[in-house]
Amino acid sequence: MNVDAFAALLMGLAGAGHCLMMCGGLAGALGQHATWRQLLLYNCGRITSYAAAGALLGAAFTTLANASIDGLIYLRLLAALLLVLLGLYYGGWWLGLRHLEAIGKPFWRLLQPLALRSRNGRGYSSVILAGMVWGWLPCGLVYSALSWAALSGSASSGAWYMMLFGLGTLPAMMAFGWLSKTLQSFLRSQGFRQLMGLLLIAYGLWTAVIALRQLLAS
Amino acid sequence: MAVTLPEPPAGLCFHCLQPLPNHGGYSVQLQQRDYAVCCYGCQAVAQTIAEQGLLHFYQFRDTRNPLNVPLVPEELQRFDAYDDERLQQQFTRDDANTGVRETALSVEGMTCSACAWLIEKHLAPLPGISKVTVNASSERVTIAWQPQHTKLSAILKHIAELGYRALPFQSASQEHDFKKRRRYFVTRLGVAGLATMQVMMIAVGLYFGMVSDLDDSLRQFLWWMSLLLATPVLLFSAQPFYLSALRSIQAQRPNMDVPVSLALLSTYIASTYATITDQGEIYFESVCMFTFFLLLGRYLELLARQRAVSAAANLIKLLPAVAQRKNGDDQLEYVAVADLQADDLVVVAAGATIPVDGILAQPSAAVSEALMTGESRAIEKRVGDTVLAGSVNQQQILHLQVTATQQNTVLASIVALQDLALSRKPKWVENAESLAQTFVKQVLVMALVTFLIWTWIAPSEAFWVTIAVLVATCPCALALAAPTAVTGAIHNLNKQGVIVRNADVLTRMSAIKTVFVDKTGTLTDGQFSLLQHYQHSSNSASEHTLDTLLALTQALERYSQHPLALPLQHLSQTQLDVEAVQVQPSYGVAGQWQQQSLRLGSLAWVRQWHPDFKPQLASANVFLASSTAVLLELQVGDQLRDGAADTVAALQRLGLNVVMLTGDRAELAAPIAAQLGITEVHAHCLPADKLALLAQRQQQHPVMMIGDGMNDGPVLAQADISVSFAQASDLARSAADAVLLRNQFSALLPFYQTALRSQRIMRQNVRWALVYNIAILPIAMLGLITPYFAALGMSASSLLVLLNSLRLYR
Repeated sequence: MNVDAFAALLMGLAGAGHCLMMCGGLAGALGQHATWRQLLLYNCGRITSYAAAGALLGAAFTTLANASIDGLIYLRLLAALLLVLLGLYYGGWWLGLRHLEAIGKPFWRLLQPLALRSRNGRGYSSVILAGMVWGWLPCGLVYSALSWAALSGSASSGAWYMMLFGLGTLPAMMAFGWLSKTLQSFLRSQGFRQLMGLLLIAYGLWTAVIALRQLLAS
Repeated sequence: MAVTLPEPPAGLCFHCLQPLPNHGGYSVQLQQRDYAVCCYGCQAVAQTIAEQGLLHFYQFRDTRNPLNVPLVPEELQRFDAYDDERLQQQFTRDDANTGVRETALSVEGMTCSACAWLIEKHLAPLPGISKVTVNASSERVTIAWQPQHTKLSAILKHIAELGYRALPFQSASQEHDFKKRRRYFVTRLGVAGLATMQVMMIAVGLYFGMVSDLDDSLRQFLWWMSLLLATPVLLFSAQPFYLSALRSIQAQRPNMDVPVSLALLSTYIASTYATITDQGEIYFESVCMFTFFLLLGRYLELLARQRAVSAAANLIKLLPAVAQRKNGDDQLEYVAVADLQADDLVVVAAGATIPVDGILAQPSAAVSEALMTGESRAIEKRVGDTVLAGSVNQQQILHLQVTATQQNTVLASIVALQDLALSRKPKWVENAESLAQTFVKQVLVMALVTFLIWTWIAPSEAFWVTIAVLVATCPCALALAAPTAVTGAIHNLNKQGVIVRNADVLTRMSAIKTVFVDKTGTLTDGQFSLLQHYQHSSNSASEHTLDTLLALTQALERYSQHPLALPLQHLSQTQLDVEAVQVQPSYGVAGQWQQQSLRLGSLAWVRQWHPDFKPQLASANVFLASSTAVLLELQVGDQLRDGAADTVAALQRLGLNVVMLTGDRAELAAPIAAQLGITEVHAHCLPADKLALLAQRQQQHPVMMIGDGMNDGPVLAQADISVSFAQASDLARSAADAVLLRNQFSALLPFYQTALRSQRIMRQNVRWALVYNIAILPIAMLGLITPYFAALGMSASSLLVLLNSLRLYR
């Protein structure tokens, strides 16, 4: 696994607190009626959407990578910046990343009717569909991960990164009901989120340093 | 689906419960009402929830602080049982005046001072809570609360919400807990020690092997062996560090275990990666050694703390749980001490430990209060005297009337005091701790900076240099420096019969320049007796023997109520009858004996007969005279305490200015002062004068005041350090910073010296830790040390600090 893929996984894992806050309770509410299999399918649907988005962006930016090596490095700098912003967001130090979510809003409007339609179904297919719709909710965390998918250089690796990211979020989302209460309170605590924020900032800075070094070397 | 949505918390996002942005955020319409949310994400999620008919999620979710987590129902029920009043009596103490109830809870799962902080902060806002002190060393929480506002079960639940299990403290189970805790460390230490030895041997082999061109497959085998051996160390032995790190992160006060855990985990992961891919470097020996030495330090600290704590708690354990009660028809029956009521009559066999506080219901008894005061001599008790639980009945069978049992006994209050002293952090400790905390944050930042810089310069080195920075600069020594010294000093003082109520005095002691000493009851023992007498050999016809004079004095004094008369009522075996006795208030007594008029009393009283009389004894204060001559001069006074003169001299040698304050006349104070070598004496002082004198001196420098806790209350309160004597039974009433339990003035000296010594050791520790940490930082950042040496340096520096503190236990 290369460093970029690792960054995607890390983002997912570090986001546990965020995911619990935003969607964790919802997975729990759903879980009251759902079997664990439905829950798994639901999350699979969500991750599928992530992967699809990753593939889309990966493919879109491949041309950029082919056009110039430098272009990819600038993209990496952007990704590093997003990672730092995400870190600041986690730690609660600067919440600017919220504005990013506005990008996804019109897109979400298009999908919303779909969500409505999927609501009544109890079959596996409708559960997967609901999960897939869920995957397109505006979320700063997802967008930061997508920036890594964008610079992956191909559609397939973009999908791979986003899948790893999705897997990283899985423990928090899927195991909401199973995690011990103590662990949950730890994951949701401000201290944990700050530490994770620091970790992401560190990772982002590190990526930026490497990118700058490459930029100067080339 | 109509659902009543809960009121959104003010200022927080309705969905994710995070603070709203400054511009007020966005809004979402749920059930025809607008709710504020923080971002588009929350807006979209909330809408979706509504559309999918899942609004009951908002209804049932936990909207409180994310630190709060609901408990499972069985646990809730178990806590409710503790609300039973009868049960609570066994482990709580009520303050009759304020209605405040106090109890000690033992808390499982506490790992560090961050836990203490977390619990304190979390409990304080509950209604009716008046005090929460958490003692991280004994894992105990002392809580004072008003039972009518908050139930005990609610408090227990609140602690449980943080992930700790709190139960009423029972000293019987403490020993067991201590043992468990020790075993917890010993097994981990054992695993780490064994593995470290093996891995070190391999590391040495590898090191020398590299020089002499080691076979590649053999090297690979040794790497795998190291990985195998280091794994249990990382997963099992190092657990305490991870737990403590997690807790401290949760409390937002990252402690030294955060960099420790980071370093351990990343070193292990990187070394494992190197082993699997068969390239790079391995540092398994650093993982093992670091864990081993850190554990060793924690274990030693644990032992020291447990020693300090159990010394106090063991006292209570010695109390019998069963007592013999005399019931209505004079039959003896065995009952649990917990079931005894006030005014029950209890019988204690000779040689047995007295189970309750009570009033002696027989003419006399001899008991030893060694348990409380360390004074092993038997103490005479008379009918109506208080006898304390924990004292040992020395002679015959003893009857007493119960006044207090269990948690309300004086013994329990002594233990509570010692506990309190251990749990209250002196400012120095707090400073050192907050310094260590700042350091942790800086270490993390510096590690990041190092990593980034080295990535720029030499990416392949960056990782190991960063690990070295994390390990070498971990402020473990700094965090250990002060608390270990304070615990040691308090333990040491307790052993010497000095109870320190406020550990702050340890750090204030060095500034003290002047010691104010009260005379009566402090320098002297407060018991009046005949100190000396002088017989005038007059020329008159009726020459009296000394015995006759003493017998006359005794006979006359029996009519007087004056305090000085009391010690003069038992002077002679000879009984003489005096007649026509008249008491003249504030002068003395007059009477007739064998047709002779006699006067006994003050100088003024006899001078009415003998205007020119000059006493032979300068300090005489009682005179016996006939109408023709003065017959006898008596000096009644209180005796100097044992060792008072030596102690005063020793204090003066240490550079302290000893000042005597007394309400007595100068003539009485001066000889005592001279005897003790005290030059500055303020006699005839009212309490207000004492206060003014002390306050005036305080303008120049901090002062210590030693007085009798009962009468000198305000003066003691004004002093920077106050010390009082107390019989064990008065302990609860005295408010001094330190209490000398053995009733020896000389205990002042070890108190002074131990306090100075503890501060010296604390200073040494902190200074050493700072010097080490600041010096090692640039060296580590320059990449001059390997993780291996970093671990050695850090471990050595914290063990050094620990051993230095342990000196105080001796």
